[in-house]
Amino acid sequence: MTIIRKPVNRRQFLAVAATAGAGIIAAPHVARAQAATLRITGWGGKWGQTMSAELIPAFEKEFKCKVETDTAFPFLPKLQASSRSNPVYDVLHTNSNEQWAALEMGIVEAKIDPKQVPNIADVYPYAVSDKIVGVTIFTSAIGLGMRTDKGYGKVTSWKDLWDKAYDGVRGGYVIPVNSLGQAFVMMSGMLYGKGMTDLDAAYAALEKVKPMKLADFTGTMEKMILSGEVGLAVIHDSGILRYDGQNQPTAFVAPSEGVMALEQVLTLTPGTKVRELANAYVNYMLSPGVQKTLAESVWYSPANSKVKLDDKYNDKLLTTPAKVATLIQPDWKWYNAHKDEIDSRVNRIFRA
Amino acid sequence: MTSAPFSLRFGRFCYLAFNVGVVVFLLAPIAIVFVFALNPTPYIQFPPVGVSMRWFEKFFASRDFMNALWFSLEVAVLTTVAATLFGASAALALARGRLPGSRAITAIMLSPLMLPAILTGLALFQTYVLLDVGRPTWGLVLGHTIVSIPYVVRTTLAVLHNFDTRLEEAAQNLGAGALRTYFEVTLPLTKPGVMAGAVFAFIVSFDQFPISLFLVSPGHETLPITLFNYLKFDLDGTIGAASVVSIVLAVLVVVGLDRTVGLRSYAEL
Repeated sequence: MTIIRKPVNRRQFLAVAATAGAGIIAAPHVARAQAATLRITGWGGKWGQTMSAELIPAFEKEFKCKVETDTAFPFLPKLQASSRSNPVYDVLHTNSNEQWAALEMGIVEAKIDPKQVPNIADVYPYAVSDKIVGVTIFTSAIGLGMRTDKGYGKVTSWKDLWDKAYDGVRGGYVIPVNSLGQAFVMMSGMLYGKGMTDLDAAYAALEKVKPMKLADFTGTMEKMILSGEVGLAVIHDSGILRYDGQNQPTAFVAPSEGVMALEQVLTLTPGTKVRELANAYVNYMLSPGVQKTLAESVWYSPANSKVKLDDKYNDKLLTTPAKVATLIQPDWKWYNAHKDEIDSRVNRIFRA
Repeated sequence: MTSAPFSLRFGRFCYLAFNVGVVVFLLAPIAIVFVFALNPTPYIQFPPVGVSMRWFEKFFASRDFMNALWFSLEVAVLTTVAATLFGASAALALARGRLPGSRAITAIMLSPLMLPAILTGLALFQTYVLLDVGRPTWGLVLGHTIVSIPYVVRTTLAVLHNFDTRLEEAAQNLGAGALRTYFEVTLPLTKPGVMAGAVFAFIVSFDQFPISLFLVSPGHETLPITLFNYLKFDLDGTIGAASVVSIVLAVLVVVGLDRTVGLRSYAEL
């Protein structure tokens, strides 16, 4: 077989490269030419998979719109850097602590109008309490995750984390960057002081809880528990329950003092140009069908009290008023106001 | 024949041991990534309990990862072309142009390396917002190009610094025009520097994180950003598999360049 090589001259090459480059570069503009685009933030992982594969396409079909989901952190600096009258997002989905920070910056609205979002009428009171900006769509319970195969004693209280038996296998978070770590600071104040704002008591308790293996992300802590590197750790229930049925020697413990709420919160941005669509999206996320699908996909407790989960999930998630009553909502407005001071102090505590 | 004195042999041994230590230090993280990628457990475990391709299968089966991989390659290629064209031209102008304030201009060209890239990313993001252009792919390529150009300028200037200008003068004395002299004398002789800069540009873009953090748009995320988002929720061997793929791609780029222009030319830089 004879292979004929036809030389391409420089001019031909540049012409092809320029045409290809222009085509690639112009593509987003073609996509952006479509009308009624809702820009939201969202999580990755299993949440993101369920949303992109199932729930977002259904919403787009129902409301004849396009949804652009930004899953690339950090959301707040991008929203803050964009114009108030033309924000990069219409709906902001973050944890509650960031929503409070966003409200302080004036880049999200404090509350969502229940008249525009009828499903708000069915949510548990915690979802729209004065501890929440916007509306909570799901919550996780922050408690303790433990290994069940290491012969540890029965764990019933947060204070068990201070037991010397867990020296070397105790797990927590880098407090300045992780909301579970920040919730743990407040819980320490509650356990050993006058309440979650008793910082002196919290600092003294944190000194005593050392040594503690610290993780940045909850996903990292999950793996540390699974690998046995950590025996008892602060973690949210979904971080343990998601391995249900996989025969892992791990368990979630809801301490007798109560569990801290890790809320998934939606807010609207003041400058959104698709307010009706944004409200429709919030309402959609609170609808029983969507709540059930996501709750059973990622093991988050639904905020809508009318949702009926399958028994397996119903038994373990916060799905009744009695179970919901065990939730302790952190005061993120207070925490954010003291965050710099707390960061500085806890950095010193855990650096030593 | 007399053997070398003990002190000399000891010195050589120490030198060799030091070099081996440096190589081990540089390669150990890569070895750990390979172990993590091939270990079947969903967490980092030493010693590994077996060999499995499950994380590679998960990586290649993931639409998100595949889209991110191809998008990263697309951006890296465009960045390489843009940074090489601009950087090499700028270096030539700086070296030969007798520009007033050429030292200051050189410093400015290299300044993106001095600034934290995350600030460059944030500044570009704000600029695009002000211009109301959204977060287009060309904006991301521009951001990557800005931080890649200094590498091309630096490597090209290094070659031009040792360049014998009499070769160009000879070509022009023999009747070659400016363009012909450039393409047939200047460019071939500066190719090692330009190509080395192009390799740097590709790798800087392909691995770029802080700039991309602000400039990627929904549905158009680069591999480092996708990996970062993934590991916030799932720290399993897929991260290791993605890292191995990235390493292999980087090696392929180097091998490809070796086949086209020869690695020896880089070594001469």
